[in-house]
Amino acid sequence: MKLNVNGKNHEVDVEDDMPLLWVLRDELGITGPKYGCGIGQCGACTVHIDGIAVRSCQLAAADVDGDVTTIEGLGTPQSMHAVQAAWVDHQVAQCGYCQSGQIMQAASFLDLNPDPSDDQIDAAMSGNLCRCGTYPRIRAAVKTAASKLQGA
Amino acid sequence: MRYAIALMVLASPLAAQDTATRAEGLQAWDQIFAVTSHPRCTNCHVAEDRPMWEGLGYGAGAVHGMYVRADESRIGAETMPCRTCHVTSDAANIVSHAPPHIDDAWRLPPAELAWLGKSSAEVCVQLRDPETNDGSDIPDLIDHVQTSAFVSWGFTPGAGRSAPDGTVADLARELAIWGAADTPCR
Repeated sequence: MKLNVNGKNHEVDVEDDMPLLWVLRDELGITGPKYGCGIGQCGACTVHIDGIAVRSCQLAAADVDGDVTTIEGLGTPQSMHAVQAAWVDHQVAQCGYCQSGQIMQAASFLDLNPDPSDDQIDAAMSGNLCRCGTYPRIRAAVKTAASKLQGA
Repeated sequence: MRYAIALMVLASPLAAQDTATRAEGLQAWDQIFAVTSHPRCTNCHVAEDRPMWEGLGYGAGAVHGMYVRADESRIGAETMPCRTCHVTSDAANIVSHAPPHIDDAWRLPPAELAWLGKSSAEVCVQLRDPETNDGSDIPDLIDHVQTSAFVSWGFTPGAGRSAPDGTVADLARELAIWGAADTPCR
């Protein structure tokens, strides 16, 4: 089947029900999205389909209905997305395992809601778990990114 | 000929039920309310912002995890869209505790169609009035029941989820009887 990931077209030979996360990591070698729970309960596998955050661990490859973006396609070290830059500014990451999912969730959220309230930030980010407990810094970084995007 | 008539009856619940007594209508309503008051329906038929997780083993009054909001859009567009987890797929739901999916875009019904916490009489009055049931007459309601991917999934949610008794066909038949009896509520 055909998949567009981070702007590149790929032809992959996989079963229809293979989760997108498996396709990305094992077939395409794109390892930014992480495996956490496998049932959409933790958010570590979050990527975008046409800009909307989805949990790639429980989305079958055959059900992918748009272009896929992973953390590798969101920005580059030379040209970071505003959310990635805010993550650096606030030194959000500790162990880092959940962070690509957190960043992808935040980027999609701010695209849909560029001027969120604190409560909306909490609601948007509550499906992404962080075992290091970096939640206060995540919230601060999302607010910083929102301000930067609004000023852009 | 007999086969053809049987097919017509099966295809059109209203044709099968042109008239019904008030008692039959009230009995049919009780069956309908048994479905609409089941957590599989009331978890999303909510007036408030938070969908529910009742009937999943989390206990009575359990709200949807992850601080999920329906928001004004009723699809969570202002915070986290339903489709982030509830993907559109016609595959079977076989994984426990994974977000269920259907072959339609996951969303909550309009807040006016809230059923959670409402009595049989309240839901009955709501459902028989086009002003409060999304502009539907009885054939519309039967069509909704027969064609909605949500209703179909509700009776066969998979992965150990509880479901109301009966089938889509049963519910369509009870609606036809209730309609033929002029939608009695009490």
